[in-house]
Amino acid sequence: MRKFLPVDDLARDERFAAITMKERFADQRTALNIDGAAQDKPRTKFRLTPERRDASDGARGLMHGIFVGEIQALEGAGRTCFDFETAGVAKTGTAATESSDMDVPFALKLDMARQCWDEARHVEISVKLSDWMGTEIGQYAENTVLFAAACSNDPVLRLAGVNRALEGLAIDVFTTMKEFGDLAGDPYLEFCEDWMLADEVTHVRMGSDWLRKVTEHDPERRKKALDFQGVVDKLFSYGGTRSDSDESPIGLARRFRSLAGFTDDEVEAINEVSIQALDERKARIAGARAAADHAPAG
Amino acid sequence: MADPFKARAPFAPWDRRTLPGLFDVEETARRVGNYKWAEMKLFEALGGWVATVPELDVKMRLGTHCYHHAWHAELWHKRLPELREMNPDRLTVPANDAMVRFVEAMTEPEAPDQTIEKLTGVYRVFIPRFIAAYTYHLNGTSEITDAPTIRSLKLILQDEFDDWRDGEMILQSLIETPEEAARAASHQQKLESIMIEAGGIAGPGTLGGM
Repeated sequence: MRKFLPVDDLARDERFAAITMKERFADQRTALNIDGAAQDKPRTKFRLTPERRDASDGARGLMHGIFVGEIQALEGAGRTCFDFETAGVAKTGTAATESSDMDVPFALKLDMARQCWDEARHVEISVKLSDWMGTEIGQYAENTVLFAAACSNDPVLRLAGVNRALEGLAIDVFTTMKEFGDLAGDPYLEFCEDWMLADEVTHVRMGSDWLRKVTEHDPERRKKALDFQGVVDKLFSYGGTRSDSDESPIGLARRFRSLAGFTDDEVEAINEVSIQALDERKARIAGARAAADHAPAG
Repeated sequence: MADPFKARAPFAPWDRRTLPGLFDVEETARRVGNYKWAEMKLFEALGGWVATVPELDVKMRLGTHCYHHAWHAELWHKRLPELREMNPDRLTVPANDAMVRFVEAMTEPEAPDQTIEKLTGVYRVFIPRFIAAYTYHLNGTSEITDAPTIRSLKLILQDEFDDWRDGEMILQSLIETPEEAARAASHQQKLESIMIEAGGIAGPGTLGGM
């Protein structure tokens, strides 16, 4: 088995259909208020709540997104167990003598294995919740950007990408879904999301702790990792899908992010990037629609 | 009420544990180091394979079992300093070169249509070897002086049996044709040959007879 599996080689059964980020962004269908793209226009509430007209489909789509996201998080944690050598441990018949910056501590690998188990449970929970909500596996397309963006070949960057950016996004998504369950009077959904949320806070905290430990004497590497996380966070903002604005379907879970080790400044930076991405997306869709309106018929 | 000051035997009549054991401290540490190395290689392989198997139920099982074996490695890692090995990495080694080759051969399958080979290597060769090595150790070690190893062995063996059963049932559900049965058998035979050369998880003498 190769080290560092390309995202295109992620194995899926026949029910799964992949969609790229480009295809997703090219989709002009949106419930967003495009007129609100202008800064002086009031923003429209688009947070995922039971009052939204498309709440049912929105919640089911988000749950399917959680399901495939958990699969990719499971795969990412699993690959971290395999892709990197363990510092100090023999690769062959004798005790190891050489070490590399790409080696990772034994305890870090144990944490990643623990995360594998947690993510496997999350996949199980998501399958059962999707079924509860009336969704079939593969009913929505899968975007593999989570794995593609987060799984760097540098273990420190991977920690930043998977455990802080990806799992941080999971904290936001689960908090929104938990609140949705509460408002919709679905204790089953709320109960499960709360359990998954507890695990995700643990995973982000693991990432924050390991990032600090591994780069303790290497500020340059730490900066590189945090810069990488910023890039991934922007990508995961999905055209403004999550932010403090009610226009974003998913809110930023500030309290849980704080528990997981994010500073207020870090969360604010994610919020700013997300709002910017939201406005860019709306402008892009408005432009595409205008171009389509003016295109010659036939 | 019984007189609390009346002399009682230090060992209850039903407590038949004895002092003698097959392994001294040094030999126990050597074996534990081999166990840790092998458990590490197993959890790393299971984690790596998660992304390569298309079957959703297998993907989830591998993720779960990955942690079980990481936890076993952690238990052995913590046991080593208690066996006077203050640098656990020094003894975290394969039993011999054949064991390294076994792990390389076991982890070789990657393609999405090789789930049978992946599971055969783990659940029909490697885990049965763990069960054998751990059972031999459990039955042979001193029941009093080595009680901490016994406790770990019992906890780990429970996982090994459960995981073996999970894996074997999945394999039986995946193998639907004589050709697939032959694939599993052929791969098992290839890996068993290397494992025989290795002599087991802790090398020759894993099951005594040295």
